[in-house]
Amino acid sequence: MRRNTLVITAVLFILAVFAWAGWANWEYRRQAAERLLASTMQGVLAPDATDGTAEFMTKLKGKAAPGFALEDLSGKKVTLASYKGKAVLINFWATWCAPCKIETPWLIELRNKYAAQGFEVLGISADDLDKDDKQKLSEEKKEIAHFAEQMHIPYPVLIDGDSVSTPYDGLDSLPVSYFVDRNGTVVAAQMGLTSKEEIEADIKKALGK
Amino acid sequence: MLRMKTRIGVVAALALGTCLLARGQALSGIRPGRSIAQPAAVEYLYPEQVTVAAGKTSEVTLHFRIAQGLHINSHQPGEKELIPTTFSIPEGFGVRLDAASYPEGTEFTLPLDPETKLSVYTGEFTIQAKIVATQGNHLVEAKLRFQACDKDACMPPKTITVPIDVIGK
Repeated sequence: MRRNTLVITAVLFILAVFAWAGWANWEYRRQAAERLLASTMQGVLAPDATDGTAEFMTKLKGKAAPGFALEDLSGKKVTLASYKGKAVLINFWATWCAPCKIETPWLIELRNKYAAQGFEVLGISADDLDKDDKQKLSEEKKEIAHFAEQMHIPYPVLIDGDSVSTPYDGLDSLPVSYFVDRNGTVVAAQMGLTSKEEIEADIKKALGK
Repeated sequence: MLRMKTRIGVVAALALGTCLLARGQALSGIRPGRSIAQPAAVEYLYPEQVTVAAGKTSEVTLHFRIAQGLHINSHQPGEKELIPTTFSIPEGFGVRLDAASYPEGTEFTLPLDPETKLSVYTGEFTIQAKIVATQGNHLVEAKLRFQACDKDACMPPKTITVPIDVIGK
């Protein structure tokens, strides 16, 4: 009798240990997935309390804009550091992105409006570049240049945006814009198509108005 | 009695070991990447397996689903810069793609640019693939290339694998 009780107790104990193991495993996976999500998705859309629309939340806000040195369409290296002292709008776009096409004329208009106050736009193309195939690469560059020409873009157009995607929130969606003040600090960011008024408001923030 | 206690101890130790092993596996199973952060824009639904006459052209209807709130360009999106949805079968699987028929896209305009008409797919869509298979069982990894957007933003172009078990008889 006593032996049976001991066996049942042992079996129950073992079952309890297995149940705990299962729960611990599930809990650990859940927490690890949450940590991973937090580390990979630096920028997320969150509801804006003021008007109910989605606001782009980025960890870059309030921090120094990650530096880069990218080629422009003529092959010249352009660095973000060389724009220190100016307010800069870093706009990531692509030729295949229809919403980018809509906002580009707004960026041109606003750039021309505020250029005299020390403001510049850097348009960074995130189009894929086939770096191993010279002919393809040349064609891809031509397509980007054609697009920039068609849109009459007056500001520097840089290529290979993908190479700086990691510090800039992964560039999982386009367009994405970062507004950088004269000291090189990100003061605002926008993801997706917003409006000319919202872009202008953030340009003013970058200019310190 | 002592033997009994030893048995219980061994079983309990084994259970704890299993638990720790499971924890270790959970840790090693997680890899950094974007797939967790972004759900798939397009999902292949079916068929998983098709049986066709070997050496003859056969038509297979492939079913796909686009995530809610998103659209992808149709096969003929209209503008040159836009990336068309394209189905392909790489060489080396024993199955050749003769032709693919795509559905007509539906007209879509962005609220801020009502004049530009885009041709897109939303919800579920099908592609009719005309394939020729050699005799035997072929685990084909076909490809679907597409570019997805919602009304305000676009995701980079993507190619997904379309796994189909093609049996040529």
